[in-house]
Amino acid sequence: MSEFLVFFLHGLAYAGLLFLVSAGLTLVFGMMNVLNFAHAAMYMLGAYFSYTLMLHTQGQLWLSIIVCPIALFIIGALIERFLLRRVHAYGHVSELLLTFGLAYIITELVKWYWGNYPLALNIGGFLGETIQFLGLSYPVYRIFVFACGALVAIILAVILQKTRLGIIIRAAVNDNEMVDALGVNVPLVFMGVFAFGAALSGFAGVIAGPLLSTYPGMANDILVDAFVVIVVGGFGSLAGAVIASLIIGELQSFGALLFPKLSIALVYLLMVVVLILKPSGLFGEEQ
Amino acid sequence: MKAKISLILPIISVLVLLLLMPLVLKNYHLNILTEIIIFALYAVSYNLLLGYAGLLSFGHAMFFGLAAFVTGIAIIHLKGIGMITAIFLGVFSAFLAGVVIGSLLLRHKGSYFALLTLAFNALFYAVATKWHSVTGGDDGLNVPRPELNVIFAKIPVETVPQFYYFTLIVLGIVILFVWFFTRTAMGKTVLLMRENEERMKFIGYSTNLSRLILFIFTGTLAGLAGAFYTLHFRFVSISAISVEMTTVVLLMTFVGGTRTFWGPILGVFVYIILQNYLSDITDRWPLFMGLIFVFMVLFIPGGLSGFIMDMKERVAKKREVALEGNQL
Amino acid sequence: MTAYLEIRDVHKDFSGLQVLTGINLAIREGERHALIGPNGAGKTTLFNIISGKYRPSSGSIIFRGQEIAGKPPHVINRIGMARSFQITNVFHELTVFENVMAGVRSRAGLRYNFFRRPEANSYLVQKVEDILKNVGLLDVKDIPASALSYGQQRALELGIALSTEPEIILLDEPTAGMTREETEQAIKLIDRVTKGRTLIIIEHDMDVVFSLADIISVLHYGTIIASDVPEKIRTDQRVKDAYLGEG
Repeated sequence: MSEFLVFFLHGLAYAGLLFLVSAGLTLVFGMMNVLNFAHAAMYMLGAYFSYTLMLHTQGQLWLSIIVCPIALFIIGALIERFLLRRVHAYGHVSELLLTFGLAYIITELVKWYWGNYPLALNIGGFLGETIQFLGLSYPVYRIFVFACGALVAIILAVILQKTRLGIIIRAAVNDNEMVDALGVNVPLVFMGVFAFGAALSGFAGVIAGPLLSTYPGMANDILVDAFVVIVVGGFGSLAGAVIASLIIGELQSFGALLFPKLSIALVYLLMVVVLILKPSGLFGEEQ
Repeated sequence: MKAKISLILPIISVLVLLLLMPLVLKNYHLNILTEIIIFALYAVSYNLLLGYAGLLSFGHAMFFGLAAFVTGIAIIHLKGIGMITAIFLGVFSAFLAGVVIGSLLLRHKGSYFALLTLAFNALFYAVATKWHSVTGGDDGLNVPRPELNVIFAKIPVETVPQFYYFTLIVLGIVILFVWFFTRTAMGKTVLLMRENEERMKFIGYSTNLSRLILFIFTGTLAGLAGAFYTLHFRFVSISAISVEMTTVVLLMTFVGGTRTFWGPILGVFVYIILQNYLSDITDRWPLFMGLIFVFMVLFIPGGLSGFIMDMKERVAKKREVALEGNQL
Repeated sequence: MTAYLEIRDVHKDFSGLQVLTGINLAIREGERHALIGPNGAGKTTLFNIISGKYRPSSGSIIFRGQEIAGKPPHVINRIGMARSFQITNVFHELTVFENVMAGVRSRAGLRYNFFRRPEANSYLVQKVEDILKNVGLLDVKDIPASALSYGQQRALELGIALSTEPEIILLDEPTAGMTREETEQAIKLIDRVTKGRTLIIIEHDMDVVFSLADIISVLHYGTIIASDVPEKIRTDQRVKDAYLGEG
């Protein structure tokens, strides 16, 4: 029983990370119709920036949590403003190619500067401890990761439902032309959402570092899972991203426990089943 | 008639040149040339999707790698298998994968298509990695080159020049067929997909069927390239089926240029030559490749071949202007 | 005489918004039928449903004895229907010749063939050139569609619609955006090339409608309020109230 609980909690932690990465991906995709291949590279940069920062500040995770997302917000804004917007006129294939090229370059730069091997970080203080409950001891840090994901999900839901900005973003996801009618500075909203997505992804990277270690392949690993999340959840749907992150987080975790040989394939199997039964995803609208 | 000669002449001269290569080149360079021919087919098939149909796939390596593995595994496990059977099994597996995955992706295009092909490629890679006992995982498989028997004659393919000729003739014919294909009814239908998917429906074309046929065809061609890849290197590992193997073909194709048939072949040539020489000088070779790629996306979306065609046009225009000037 | 194309009680709503509220229409073979009505009346939506772009929410459409409601566009086209679009919808980077060839070879069953080159078939080439001559584009057959003038693109739009040799042809505002003179030319062209076919045309220009059509149907708020010969429509009080009276 306690073993199941442990794996359930593991699944929640990964779901938290996955949500943080896929939320920005699905919002940008829904609004701008750009599938951002560089999104996970922001996650990786967040992790590496945090690693270096913590090395110089003796493990101040809180500092990284504040500084790194801001840095990535700026990087994201610059990418949108000076690169993505320029190729927009060439069509969506060029946009995809550009984000793919950026992801490629960032990965190579990371390998160059930080080396092509995993870097481990230890978390000190309360987050590095374990807590006792229900007769088992469990690392506080994993609970923290899930809590971050849940908190961001709640904040995003409130923003999207209650604020004017949220109404604009939701309108843009449903119908790009409607935003023009609302009299909004569309390019500015696009840049803001893109940069915000990058910041969220970077934040996910910061908290992923101590959990999964920091390595150059981490971007591709989570990118594919995040893609599966938005296929399963439905393109552009935040609610879908929440549910799909939870399903896939748990599927990964219990898959490793119950069918260690098949664990990776289970996630894709889920994707294939969803594609056959509901090609637009669980929360996606038909065309 | 004149147009036909100007088309066929360069093809024949390139073919003659390639046939003479073993007389000139040492084995080391002949090996590189063999590799270039194999990747040329891989890139040409990829460009049918990217350049001709406007579909960005991140899953081309699943066909390439699947066929590479099936060919290799068949040779290892089936005693006395001939080369033709081994290649056939590899290509057939890619064909079947194209049918199954193509049917699942039928309704998706654009960004969805890119995302889903990447996910399927990741699935293939994950299975290949986990299934260590069959695929050899990271260590890979050493694959001896089987005998090539055509009817009752045994054709030697052991030495570097012999295998070069074998590759050149088989894949050369296939690449020429693909070139012919771009001029056939189906080849022209592929262009309709790129130009206006909506309109073609109203003049009797099923876009889903068109996409499925193209996906199967290009997957099968990539499979043939994959089978030769295993035979050429006498080795196959999970890198053949990795997402990197897809991104490599994307880089080659895009750098060479997607607007012409021969652009991707040029791209393969440039890429492999650069890789062989630059990788000796610097470890940062992929970084430079990435920078070149992004630069081209931003400023030269037509790639090298597009650039060359533009230059040619400019020169021709200048000449025209000059001629007119003379007449006056 | 029995109806050739029969539309029975077709409804369409888009996420709750009722666009068509029970369309009934019977069109005889060889008829020239004009659809008129104010903007937003649902004319183009009706075209989109007949040609298979949208699925009707309910109702049935019988064409040549077959139920076509909800069938995909390419199937409906092969039964013998073609359409043009209000906004020019051609294959921009292909040549004028290739644009029309796409339909001609589709009609001949040369859609997915891996071995035959359509350009090598002199019968098909001749057909394409006949159509191009008919719509006045033979001189520009080798230039890309994107390089044509607006009027030429509209002619190409018509040429593509004709290319699959349809028995019934749906034209959605073929003279939209044209000058008086261009419109007159276009109408002569349409009149000539649609001889022997059934025609349904959406048109705003009343002169065009009254000179071309055998029957006029008036669409108003998703329903047909009148359908009759031009003389009757001209004097119909409901039509005057709903539409003509405004102008």
